[in-house]
Amino acid sequence: MYYIATFYSHFGAIRFKKEASDGIMAPCLMPVPRRLSSSCGTCVRFEGPADFTFTQDDSGEVEQIVRETDTGYMCIYTTQE
Amino acid sequence: MNFASEKRAIIIAGLGIGMLAALLVLAGNPANMGFCIACFIRDTVGGLGLHRAGAVQYIRPEIIGLLLGSFILSLIRHEHAAKGGSSPLTRFVLGFFVMIGCLMFLGCPFRMILRLAGGDWNALFGLAGFAAGIGIGVIFLRRGYSLKRTYALTKLEGAVMPAIQIVLLVLLLAAPAFIFFTKAGGGPGAQHAAVFVSLGAGLLVGALAQYTRLCMVGGIRDFILFHETKLLMGFAAIFVAALLVNVAAGNFHPGFAGQPVAHTDGLWNFLGMWLAGLGCVLLGGCPLRQLIMAGEGNTDSVITVLGLACGAAFAHNFALAASGAGPSDNGKVGVMVGIIVVLIIAAVNTFRSQKA
Repeated sequence: MYYIATFYSHFGAIRFKKEASDGIMAPCLMPVPRRLSSSCGTCVRFEGPADFTFTQDDSGEVEQIVRETDTGYMCIYTTQE
Repeated sequence: MNFASEKRAIIIAGLGIGMLAALLVLAGNPANMGFCIACFIRDTVGGLGLHRAGAVQYIRPEIIGLLLGSFILSLIRHEHAAKGGSSPLTRFVLGFFVMIGCLMFLGCPFRMILRLAGGDWNALFGLAGFAAGIGIGVIFLRRGYSLKRTYALTKLEGAVMPAIQIVLLVLLLAAPAFIFFTKAGGGPGAQHAAVFVSLGAGLLVGALAQYTRLCMVGGIRDFILFHETKLLMGFAAIFVAALLVNVAAGNFHPGFAGQPVAHTDGLWNFLGMWLAGLGCVLLGGCPLRQLIMAGEGNTDSVITVLGLACGAAFAHNFALAASGAGPSDNGKVGVMVGIIVVLIIAAVNTFRSQKA
């Protein structure tokens, strides 16, 4: 399964890629897809298991993580305001 | 929308925007200035009497339209979200100096493209400086530059800037005695399309830019960062469409000397846009993009637009802005101070992020 993580800053994306935790495979930086957001920042697309979960963001930089589906995206994590 | 359709949409939008910009000149806007975010914010600030340069005083409906076009489409698409709190004062200062850089070059990145499409080769120095400034900004981005995250705000916060645009439109139409208008023949401020033509063009371009996320800085930044050409295609499409209309209308005059609202000092054209390019990367978007994000409810972009407006007022109150005769001594000092301040902001916010 493919996932996309969006961030509050470009640095957040770089850090996420560099410090990729268990279950995150082949992370790559790319512009945030338009369908996902009207913001034009940097996201990380990565491969992960079907049951991939993300519950704690120690960096405070992750905005949301979505799973790619046939019809679009399914949100699996969003930051608490 | 996948990447291929995103690219197609941005090319179509760019062609439409470039054509509209060139047509606005035929409708009365200054030459090679169908749109210029820096110049039009400067004119609006002058219309409000915040600077007294009589040649550039007119509340530009294009700015009102751009912001409202983005606001309306973002509401329709459920993308309007009030947010802010990401180093607002730093953004104000960056916006201020981006304007100082733009008024040294005599145009924002959008007008830089339109100047090239009109045959003004002085803008090539601006383009080189702009790309070089973005390149330096990308180095800071890669090393950890961040102005920290935004936070959700109340809906009212996101509605204030659109409401201000309505007030500006009322002031333009009512034309009370305290609003300034450049006298006919008195300069670029007197050259404008009819109010509702300008407003309509602004609304359309604002909506297109919101839909496609068109950004002059983002194009070069994403190409350097990811070798991604999508936003750059929008850039190129604007140039091609404006060039075709200019050639067809007899508004293409290639050369360096005698270009409208431009000077021939290559070094300061380069440095002005170098400052603008670096400042815009640190802000996360060009002046057009800041207006669009302000319409979407981003108050950090509103603060940036206020910084741009304040920079414009200072530039004309203290003779920092260049003119057709060339850059002023005050302007050269302003750009050098701006380069130092913006580099300090970049370094401090990079170092801080690395330590966190």
